[in-house]
Amino acid sequence: MKTITKQYKLIVFLCISILTISCETDVTDDITIAESTPKLVINGGLERNITSPLATQQIRLTTTINFLSNEPNPPVTDATVSITDGTETWVFSHQGDGYYANAMMPVLDKTYTITIEWNGETYEGADPLNEAPTFTNFYTEFEEETIFFTGGYFIKFDSQDPADIENYYYYRVVKDGEYFIIPDAGNSFNLITSDKFFDGQMRSGVTLNREITFEPGELATGQQLGISEEYFDYLFELFTQTGSSGGFGGNPPPATIRSNVINLTTPSNRAVGYFYSVDVEEGSVVVEE
Amino acid sequence: MKLYISLVVGLLFMTSQAQETFTLSGYLKDAMSGESLWGANIILGPTTGTVTNEYGFYSITLEKGTYTVTFSSLGHKTITKEIVLDQNLKLNFDLVEDVNTMDEIVVTSTKANRAVKSTEMSVSTIKAETIKKLPTGMGEVDILKSIQLLPGVSSVNEGSSGFNVRGGSTDQNLVLLDEATIYNASHLLGFFSVFNADAIKDVKLYKGGIPSLYGGRLSSVLDIRQREGNLKEFKGELGIGLISSRALLQGPINKGDNEEGKGSYLIAGRRSYIDVFAPLSEDLEDTKLYFYDMNLKMNYNLNDTNRLYLSGYLGKDRFAIEDVFGNTYGNTSATLRWTSQLSDKLFFQTSAIYSDYDYEVELLTSGSEFSWKSSILNYNLKPRLRWYVSPGNTLTSGVDFTYYNFNPGEIAPINNSSTTAEKFQEKFAIEIAPYLDFETKISDNLSLHYGLRWSNFQRIGKENIATYANGTPLTYNSTLDLFDENEAIGETSYESGDVIESFNNLEPRASLRYLLNETTSLKASYNRNYQYLHLISNTTSATPLDIWAPSGPYLKPQSSDQYAVGLFKTLKNNDYDFSVEAYYKDLRNITDFVDGADLLFQENIETQVVQGNGRAYGLELQFNKNVGKLTGWLSYTLARSERKVIGINNNEYYPSNNDQTHELSLTGIYKFNNRWDFGGNFVYGSGKPVTYPTGKFEQNGLLVADYDGRNGDRLPAFHRLDLSATLNPKEGKNGTWIFSLGNVYNRKNASTIFFRERTEEMNNIDVPTGQTEASKFSFLGIVPSITYEFKF
Repeated sequence: MKTITKQYKLIVFLCISILTISCETDVTDDITIAESTPKLVINGGLERNITSPLATQQIRLTTTINFLSNEPNPPVTDATVSITDGTETWVFSHQGDGYYANAMMPVLDKTYTITIEWNGETYEGADPLNEAPTFTNFYTEFEEETIFFTGGYFIKFDSQDPADIENYYYYRVVKDGEYFIIPDAGNSFNLITSDKFFDGQMRSGVTLNREITFEPGELATGQQLGISEEYFDYLFELFTQTGSSGGFGGNPPPATIRSNVINLTTPSNRAVGYFYSVDVEEGSVVVEE
Repeated sequence: MKLYISLVVGLLFMTSQAQETFTLSGYLKDAMSGESLWGANIILGPTTGTVTNEYGFYSITLEKGTYTVTFSSLGHKTITKEIVLDQNLKLNFDLVEDVNTMDEIVVTSTKANRAVKSTEMSVSTIKAETIKKLPTGMGEVDILKSIQLLPGVSSVNEGSSGFNVRGGSTDQNLVLLDEATIYNASHLLGFFSVFNADAIKDVKLYKGGIPSLYGGRLSSVLDIRQREGNLKEFKGELGIGLISSRALLQGPINKGDNEEGKGSYLIAGRRSYIDVFAPLSEDLEDTKLYFYDMNLKMNYNLNDTNRLYLSGYLGKDRFAIEDVFGNTYGNTSATLRWTSQLSDKLFFQTSAIYSDYDYEVELLTSGSEFSWKSSILNYNLKPRLRWYVSPGNTLTSGVDFTYYNFNPGEIAPINNSSTTAEKFQEKFAIEIAPYLDFETKISDNLSLHYGLRWSNFQRIGKENIATYANGTPLTYNSTLDLFDENEAIGETSYESGDVIESFNNLEPRASLRYLLNETTSLKASYNRNYQYLHLISNTTSATPLDIWAPSGPYLKPQSSDQYAVGLFKTLKNNDYDFSVEAYYKDLRNITDFVDGADLLFQENIETQVVQGNGRAYGLELQFNKNVGKLTGWLSYTLARSERKVIGINNNEYYPSNNDQTHELSLTGIYKFNNRWDFGGNFVYGSGKPVTYPTGKFEQNGLLVADYDGRNGDRLPAFHRLDLSATLNPKEGKNGTWIFSLGNVYNRKNASTIFFRERTEEMNNIDVPTGQTEASKFSFLGIVPSITYEFKF
């Protein structure tokens, strides 16, 4: 129930902002940030999608750059990448601009391990692929504007949570053919959830994303991802940090979100980013008035 | 317990006396209201004297003879009396207010020379009257913000009532209201303190040299006493401000035709009304936001030597947005105290105390509405006996009994939502702490104040305690430099009353004063403190989300050793005084979070917390001007506060969140004429530690920050000026106007600096741009306020 923290803080923050004569000033030009050694960045993972299967699975590798730099992260083009399920191994070859790909098909209940050789060092990380329950109903519904949310057509769904299994979910929206995400304080309760408080329950009328609205006639696509507990923790941290509005009372000192990919050669020279294995339940509907 | 009894018995036999001695004792009261005077001086010679206790009682035993005694209390006319002491003597006096000195303020409510002569160090006392003369900053008279103007005390954030003492965290302050523990001293998420200054008499802050009478927190004790009420006549006060209004009534009980009642009562209430204006704004129409509090005090003289006191406090905060969210929290406390003067030399008191802090959050997101309740409740019994052995020699002994009941969380669905009800296990504990405290005059120059507190803290059932693989909830993985959570492999069940874990600790305390001459003294002190409760909070300031967790099998008690030395001096016949203190603190088992800690709705808090060590040291200077049209003080603190916790900052020392290198404050009150008073304070503090990101990377379409180390950067320096003006009524008239201007030159002090991806608005949605920015968040600009006060 991590999700509640953030929602609470958001509300507190909003109200305190209204209450007091608070203000925000851009100080980008006044701040100097210490330079640090670039770290390897892993972006991506394996996705099993029965509804619209992916032609290839791909991972992108880059390196970190100074936070206030406006350059893109430099791609890593000379790494050796392979993924194994313990019996079979797939080599992911570099496609350009840091993308590594293979046409393999991930399956349920396997744990996939990635191995990256780069700069004379070996990195390794693993994630289990957990099943996502299906949507028993997928539709859109109009909602009026409130203080916190804009009005419009939202994706809604019904889904049966499997009993006696810890499930972790991640929700994605596809709009105009692209994954749509915004850095927002609500993400850590909006986009991910655990079944801690609804284990085995039939969930109905759940809003898939409370930020993204659709217009009549648009194609609304939503995904329910079955993710591992570790990935849930990672995403919670990720959304908390990227959604942080900073303000009220000071937050706990931030720290780098720990990757599941570990540098076996020099552990202190850490990688960042998460290598994930997920199952995707997808629904699509054309919005009707 | 055996050790304790033999110590007491030993002492009783130790002090047989050879010469013929008699005891002078009695009570001192304010002539106008009949309120007892705490800390009034009774002086019989250059080095002979005593002070009144919290109940206005004094006792001094001397050889037979003739003495000139002066009774003095700040703001009152001094009484001098020749006495012949050839038998035990009782002298009660009502001291008359001294109009000429009324508007002079001194930080210590006792006379400046007492600061030199007392064995106390690292202690500040402020009278509520003084606090009311200071600028409010946010429009409400605030005790907790006033103590932040003292050296060694800093604010957790601009405008916050949360405070840090000598580099300690907010949960290391023991806040007592008439002996009852207040667990959350803030209203409105920290912007206001829960103490209504109208109902408060005195505030005493111990930053160090904490006597053995107090225990349970590492950094400080804030002892707040409520006014007792007018013994002589019925009186009322009204205050109308922009944030809140308040009312106070007081008067005698069972007065009959006598000059004074057998007792008195005081009742005060305060309520904010920000929400009254909320409907004016469409956005806030459905918002509820208010706090209120009530203070009650009654006392009754059963006879000349026995008195009963009843003291109560009730405070509530409510904050809600219709159909979205609701939050209610508050403290409730009640103290019943009996004081008895057993003989001229023996003063006994015992208090039975109830204290409760609870809060509730309701989340009303449709489909999953639920409420979450949590509370901490404790009962105390505090018997204490003080024996005035001989001049300069006092022995105090007592026992503090405490019973705790923690309810960490209870979740219940609202409107038949799909949320499943859940209740975390309640936790129980008892604490027994006997103590002995001696004040001894070794010679005319040397006085000692020392004591010992033995604290016994027991976690008791009924509770099931999880057991973990490897025996601990967390194992440090040195290769990866992080903590691995161990699997819970089972549970040990404890029945009601079973002892789960017991801690026994000795807490020695000592301070020493050496008089160099009449106006100068040197002091040194040492104290060891243990703290068995830990505030598990995910913000630096006190918020209603804070969870108090007791020590137990996986959470060790925190402890500290503090060493301090100081020089105290008065100048120009007490017109000025000056002090300098240096301290060093060694802290153990301080709690901090593992990276990515998840605290809310977390039953097994031990899996999210690690314990480490800390150290803090500093230098504090204070200069007071005590008399004249202009009075006030200047304080400066140079300090450092650091922590070392495995798994954080590459296992090296890092600055704690409360580390502030320089802090300077200048406070002044100017009495212009009989009608106008002016007050001002200026505060400067160097930047508090923050962690800035170093690198960035992309993940799931979002820009993410990468960090090296913790608290390696500093916020910009903080400074602000607050001013106030008070228009007092004409002679014989009523009504006082108080004008206040907070943050006069509208300084935008950084509360935080945060880093994020820049967004652009497209079709009503903020879309990420891939660019990064740094943004400064500041709370308050200039804050004007007006208060009107009326007395009848």
